[in-house]
Amino acid sequence: MFRLKTVVLCAALALAAPIALAADKVVIAPPAPGSVSREQGLDAWGRIFEVTSHPRCSNCHVGERNRPMWSGPSYGKTQVHGMNIIAGESRIGAEFLPCATCHAASETGNDVDHAAPQVDDDWRLAPVEAQWFGKSSVEICNQLRDPARNGERSFMDLARHLDHDVILHWAWKPGGSRQPAPYSLQEHVNDILTWGVAGQPCTND
Amino acid sequence: MQIIVNGTAHEVDVEDDMPLLWVLRDELGITGVKYGCGIAQCGACTVHLDGQAVRSCQVDISDVGNQEVTTIEGLGTPEALHAVQAAWIKHQVAQCGYCQSGQIMQAASMLDLNPEPTDEEIDVIMSGNLCRCGTYPRIREAIRSAAATLREA
Repeated sequence: MFRLKTVVLCAALALAAPIALAADKVVIAPPAPGSVSREQGLDAWGRIFEVTSHPRCSNCHVGERNRPMWSGPSYGKTQVHGMNIIAGESRIGAEFLPCATCHAASETGNDVDHAAPQVDDDWRLAPVEAQWFGKSSVEICNQLRDPARNGERSFMDLARHLDHDVILHWAWKPGGSRQPAPYSLQEHVNDILTWGVAGQPCTND
Repeated sequence: MQIIVNGTAHEVDVEDDMPLLWVLRDELGITGVKYGCGIAQCGACTVHLDGQAVRSCQVDISDVGNQEVTTIEGLGTPEALHAVQAAWIKHQVAQCGYCQSGQIMQAASMLDLNPEPTDEEIDVIMSGNLCRCGTYPRIREAIRSAAATLREA
């Protein structure tokens, strides 16, 4: 039975201010308005989709089953997270086993291959409406330009989100032998800006 | 640096990235907490940080700060066992016993957050604590029993 004390824990974890000492600096410099063609925007989207569909990102962008995934080169086969982990509607495990039980918040991170990855923030799943795992390029493209499903964010807000959220930075520096997300954080931000200035085109337009 | 364990402050001179588990066992001689895998996959090293269960092999000592560490030695006393400890004895849960301090610390934290867990919730939450002897049915029985005791208290 889920009760008030769990909700309080959930709220406390959600409100805990991360100390982004190890955060990478990102330059947010969008191209001039009108300077990016639709074709260039779709090219940028293609690279963005390589990132969003990469296991380093999509394993925690899962749907309403609230089960993080273990997939990608490190795992051999696609499977749900071991230890029967269910992150719950809180998406931080408050109803069951909090992610922080193993994924400790740490300024120094964790480079051990099979240990629980760590960042200087509370480990968590992305919101359900931001599900990427198993979704197509068109589905994710439309999701990321839909304020109702992207946290009411403009493309500039998406770029800023990538700038300040250290759990996202971890995807490019996952430690150990984990494969990082494609390109670099800065290149990914540049692609978001290019796609945005092009009018956030999707191939189904 | 200073660390508070079971209500007592200790001064330790260790590297910042030494895992809490090593500090407890090797520096302070608190050996109720066990080393199992070192990578957060077995739960044998579970302790509480400000009441929340954590795998102590994953927590750098420099990240503990002012949080109070509780190990199995500080959960109850021989004269006044924690309800989970008492239930463990009542149901004779332990076989080899190596995992039991981690199991008990995880179960106590769970019941603090959720005093009336369903069998499914017990199974899900305790899945991160492995028992090579396979005492899982007795673990579940003991947790049910401890939950009833705590509700009546």
